[in-house]
Order: sequence, then C-alpha cells, then structure tokens
Amino acid sequence: MTLTENLFENLRLELRRGCLTLAVLAQLRQEYYGYTLRKALAERGLDIDESTLYPLLRRLEAQGLLVSEWREEEKRNKRFYRLSSDGEQMLGQLLDEWNAINASISATVDATTNKNASGKNTL
Amino acid sequence: MELLDRYLLAVKKHLPWQRQDDIIAELKANLESQLEDKEAELGRALTKNEADAWLKQMGPPIQVAARYLPQRYLIGPAVFPMYWYVLKLACFWCLIIFTIATVAQVFAGGIANGTALLEALLRVPWSLIPAAAVVTLVFAAIEFGITRNPPICGPFAGAPLDWSPATLPPADGTAGKKPRSFALALVEVIFGFLFLAWWLLVPEHPWLLLGPGALYLHASPFQLAPVWIPFYWWVVAINLLQLGWRCVNLARGRWQGPRRVQQNAIQALGLIPLALVIAAPGHAYVTLKHSAVNQGVSGAQLAALNHGIYIGLLLICVIAVAHLLWEMGRFALGAYRERATAVR
Repeated sequence: MTLTENLFENLRLELRRGCLTLAVLAQLRQEYYGYTLRKALAERGLDIDESTLYPLLRRLEAQGLLVSEWREEEKRNKRFYRLSSDGEQMLGQLLDEWNAINASISATVDATTNKNASGKNTL
Repeated sequence: MELLDRYLLAVKKHLPWQRQDDIIAELKANLESQLEDKEAELGRALTKNEADAWLKQMGPPIQVAARYLPQRYLIGPAVFPMYWYVLKLACFWCLIIFTIATVAQVFAGGIANGTALLEALLRVPWSLIPAAAVVTLVFAAIEFGITRNPPICGPFAGAPLDWSPATLPPADGTAGKKPRSFALALVEVIFGFLFLAWWLLVPEHPWLLLGPGALYLHASPFQLAPVWIPFYWWVVAINLLQLGWRCVNLARGRWQGPRRVQQNAIQALGLIPLALVIAAPGHAYVTLKHSAVNQGVSGAQLAALNHGIYIGLLLICVIAVAHLLWEMGRFALGAYRERATAVR
C-alpha cells in the first residue's frame, strides 16, 4: 500500500465512522439481531465488519440509544436490538445534522467547481 | 464447529469477566448464523481451510475483544491489548525482583522487623512506576508510528501478521489439562505412601532429610527445639488424610478431575503446623545442646540462626496464604460463572 493509499484509507475510515452510527440507528427503527442487521446494511451498500458492528451495538445500547432483548429464534438464542425512544430523538437530530452537512458540502463543492470553471473560461 | 468454539474461547480470555459470557453468547449466535448462510450458499460444510480463512478475516481474538473495551486515547485499541499484557508482565517481574532484593537486603542487614517490612512495602510503588512509565512510553511511540506508518509498525499492533485460527488452543480448556489417567492417580497414591514412610523414618535417620547436614547437626552445638515435634505429627496427619482421600477417590473411580475442594482443604490444613511453628515462644527453633557450656561461644550465632529461620517461615507462610487465597478466589469465580451461565 502506498502512502497515498494509506492516507486515503485513514481518511475514508474516519469519514465512515460517524456515518455508520447513523446508518445503524436508522436501520434499527426495525428490530434486528447482529447478523441480520449486518446483512440488511450490506444490501443497502454499507458493508460493516462484524468486529466493528457488534461492539458498536453494545456501545449504543450502553448510551441508551438502543434497547435489546434475548429471544429464541430458529432454536437459537439471539440478542435483538431496536431503537429506544432516546434513540429516536437522537436519530432525528443526527439526520438533521447529516442533511445540513451534506447540503453545505454540496454547496461548497459546487461553488468551488463553478469558480474554477469560470476562471478557466476567462483565461 | 470446533474451530469457532476455539476462536470464541480465545476472544473470551481478553474480555472483562463480568461481561464476557454475554458478549460471547451474542457473538456466537451471530457467527453461527453467518456460518449457516455460508454453508447454505456452498451447499456443504466449510472445509478446514475455508473456516480458517473466514475466522482470520474476523481478526485476531485479542483485537476483536479490544473493540468491546472502553476507548483508549494515548494507546489505541489495536495496540492496547499488547500494551496491557506487557505492562502486567513488566510489573510482575519488577515486583519479583524487588521482593528478592528486599529479602536479601533484610537478611544482609539483619534488620528484619516490622518497620523494615513497612518501609519495604512503601517502596513498592516507586519500583513499579518507572517500569510502567517506560512500557507506556514505548507503546505510545508504537501507537504514534502505527497511525503515521501502518505498514512498518503493523507487526507491533498486537498480533503477528501470519496469525491463524488453526493455532488456537482447544475450546474445552483441556490444553495442558488432560483428564488424569488411572495410572497417574495410582502413582500419586504410591508416592504418597512412600513419602509417608520416608517422613516416618526421618526422626530415627535424620540423614534421610538433611543428608550430610545431619553429620554437621550432630557435631554442632545446636539441636532442634521441641516445637518441631507437633509440627512433625501435623505433617504426618495431613499426609495420612490426603492419602486416605486419594485412596477413596481411586476406589470410587473419581480420579479423573482434580478435586479442588480437597486440594484447598489440604492446603488450608497445611497452614496450621506452619502457624504453630511461627508462634513458637521466643522464636526458638534451634537450641543449644549444652547451654551452660556453649552459651558464651554460640549464643549470638543461635539468636541469628533462630531469627533467620523465623523470617524464612514467615515468608513461606505469606506465600502459602497468598496462594491459598488465589486458588480459593479462582474456585469461587469459576463457581459464580458456572452459576451465571446456568441461570442464563
């Protein structure tokens, strides 16, 4: 891996970290257990490592954003997670923030692109 | 799947004990579902190599466990497990070296009293802090290197690059703990008898215990004090009890597993003769054969000898009590975990 690739990988991971929490909270408006949640997110194009997702669920539960219960399904005990009422509120706030950031970045990128394009035309 | 169980057991070892069973149960359910999907997709069970590759992709157990631990800042999650392991090791050896040095110093200076021991205890943190600081600095540098240059510092990140699930120990915890064979149990009983026979012959033939030292003792102005007589009979009684216990286990076909309660009980009983000797009046473990004749010449030597034996016995007693507490703690923790698992 070259230095540029390393740098990209580090920045990509940093960028994804916050988004993953948002995606997990959004997906857990419906109840899932760890593995099916991972599959559901992967189907929507968001692959998460098991070793990242499962501890993340624990952390979010400890923060009161998720609730969980052990239940038997297909002859196996599984821990099912869903969004708590605090989690609902938090998700709403985070989505607002996400949309605002998205809009700001789009506006910034558009503005700089247009400026560069007009600069080239003037030359 | 045996390999999965071994992997989960390896992860479990690095998790905090209060949460480890819960985390492992959840991880196991998730991984088993994933495994079922994989096998359904293939239409067959995973081969050994495929299972190995699948678990390898999950990551080394120590790092998987680290993700369940609270976030660390100076030392990141990739390095923290290795840092914690090295730190514990460094502190342990520092403590051992410090203890040996202190005991040697006490013996050399002949100042083994309560104040000296208290002073030695107060010096313990100051012997550990530099070791902990050095280890922390080294790992902080490694963490810094990893974040700046992963390819070079990667191998220091807590697990070797050629890590493989196939090298994990068996899941049933039998690594190095095979069930005891009948032959081993029988040998223990035979050696128990031989030890007892040997111990019973010692009073008549001291050379069996002291070797050439028996001749020295015979020629020296010293002799063993009467306090050793009850000690001797306590050892006989405890060994008889242990031997009887082993014979009963053997006769009832219960020789396979170590009997922890029995072992702890024997160990606790073993403290009684030790305590009796330590509490001997005036700490007189050795006396003069002819006190009137030898008092002037060997009196000082006798005091130093008795003092040395007293300190030695005290040290043995502290180690034995610490070991017993450790074993009892392990036993209680094991019982608590078994109960918690059964309840779940």
